[in-house]
Amino acid sequence: MLLEDMEPIVKKFYDGVAEGKLLGRKCTECGAIEFPPHLGCNACGYHQTEWVELSGHGTLESFVVPGIQNDKPYLKEVAPYGYGKVRLDEGTEYSFVIFCGKKKVVKGLQERLYKNHETIGVHFKPIKRLVPEKEGSDVMVEWWEPCFELDEVAQ
Amino acid sequence: MVKLGKQARSVSIVGVGCTPFKNFEDHPQTKGMSEGDAFGYAALEAIQDAGLEPRDIQYFYHGAANPFMIGDSLTPNMQVADWFGVRGIGSVHHSEACCTGYVALQEAVQAVASGTYDVVLSGAVDLAASLPVVDAPGCFRRDFPLSEMLPSIPKVYDRAYGRPFDSAFGISFDNWINKYRWEYDLTAEQIDDALNGVSKSLRRDAVLNPLAFSTKTFEELAKENDLPDADAYLKGFGNPKVTQYLRVTGFEIKCDGAAALVVMPTDMAVARGLDHKVIDVLGTGAAAFEGATPDNEYNGTKVGTQQVYELTGVSPDELDLLFVNDFFLAGDIVAAEEVGYIPRGEAWQYAIDGRMGFDGDKPINTHGGRCNFGHAHGASGVADVVEAVKQMRGEAGATQMPKAPQTTFLRGFGGGQNIRCQILRTHD
Repeated sequence: MLLEDMEPIVKKFYDGVAEGKLLGRKCTECGAIEFPPHLGCNACGYHQTEWVELSGHGTLESFVVPGIQNDKPYLKEVAPYGYGKVRLDEGTEYSFVIFCGKKKVVKGLQERLYKNHETIGVHFKPIKRLVPEKEGSDVMVEWWEPCFELDEVAQ
Repeated sequence: MVKLGKQARSVSIVGVGCTPFKNFEDHPQTKGMSEGDAFGYAALEAIQDAGLEPRDIQYFYHGAANPFMIGDSLTPNMQVADWFGVRGIGSVHHSEACCTGYVALQEAVQAVASGTYDVVLSGAVDLAASLPVVDAPGCFRRDFPLSEMLPSIPKVYDRAYGRPFDSAFGISFDNWINKYRWEYDLTAEQIDDALNGVSKSLRRDAVLNPLAFSTKTFEELAKENDLPDADAYLKGFGNPKVTQYLRVTGFEIKCDGAAALVVMPTDMAVARGLDHKVIDVLGTGAAAFEGATPDNEYNGTKVGTQQVYELTGVSPDELDLLFVNDFFLAGDIVAAEEVGYIPRGEAWQYAIDGRMGFDGDKPINTHGGRCNFGHAHGASGVADVVEAVKQMRGEAGATQMPKAPQTTFLRGFGGGQNIRCQILRTHD
């Protein structure tokens, strides 16, 4: 593999997140969206994919409410949240942190999703993260974490 | 789906060994036990059980879930070989976190099935209840707060996406049991009762097993706490829910332990005329999904199960015993249905009715599982195999099933996430 045929996929993805863009890769043979982006296609096993910008919109397919064991204080500072599987409008699925706006929405979301079979829209919501370059260091590394938020929060 | 090919020759388990799964630092017999000591004791027991001497071992596998942090080691296979008298033979270390022990069996079987070796030992060790004192000899270990261990757990997830997206850990515990709850229109209380039912059965099994970490039943703990019964203890303030569904008793008990097994060609095992039954390894189904891949435990179990049933021709109604890596307890319910051991939609009721204990009609994890026998990370999968073999030989002591099982299914899982589905059968 020659240098000119390579690029850092992960870096380009997170550069995109920082700009508010959600990037994926599209299989040049079967057309499936590879998300998060990798080199090969995990839908059909073809060796080649190419960049594509995604809509950043999808539907919630599953939802889990955090307890003490799996709660993250830094996420709670942003907004009440849970963990869920999102099916992006382009057809691919992945697990994300899902911000819900209000605590009572978190509590009632499973019933809406599983019992009432409600279609619940979600959209891309990146949050800024700052971590020290090494333990105790003043040098901070800034990056953006790709999360999702219920559409109804923004309405 | 990957279609597995038949092994070039049949392979059998002929020897097993397992240390107690305890906090070694708490017992005078084990305080100061190093990884080499522990692996050595388990390995030598397995070799003796096989009627062999260390000089008969031709190659060995060493497993550990997190050797750098827990063992202060990068090449642990080199560091334990001398302990059981096999200096100089070929060996390799492998690490698949909590799935390590099942990979240990698979790799050993492949090494023999291929014809490369005839007698292979495979073991695993993790001293998970303490941490090493770095730069001091291996007998010096120290207590640690959970907060010191927690940062290492996400390292089983992909550093590019799974870990930074920060959903894999949070969704893993309850995702499958939550889906199960809604699919069968159950209440949160029914799930709670089912998980507590599993806890009661498996704790009783563990208390009867001298190698297990747990020494008190929930009935005894209730009495000590002036509570009327086990249910009051399990639902009480001392045992809160720490995820949406799982209580403290639904999570693993970290402990120290090592376990080992010896395999050889079935023909050779039969010809040797062992004084115990020969246990054949019929096959291993395998899958691996990065931890943030949706429904990874469900999909991995499904794929691994399909592979091993297709390879072996075994059907679910032939299973007599099931082992499930239940470091979060809900796996015992959902995996039991996915492998076809218990009819769909019924395992929660089986759990409440106490049918999963060693003397029940659908025994699971007859040593008590990760939440009761204890979880020495990588070593636990091998300990499952050890218990399965003892049950199948009729040598399981106080928790021996009334009728020795002929066919056992093991659903290995862990390490963000590897899956192995294995079937053992008593040789006719």
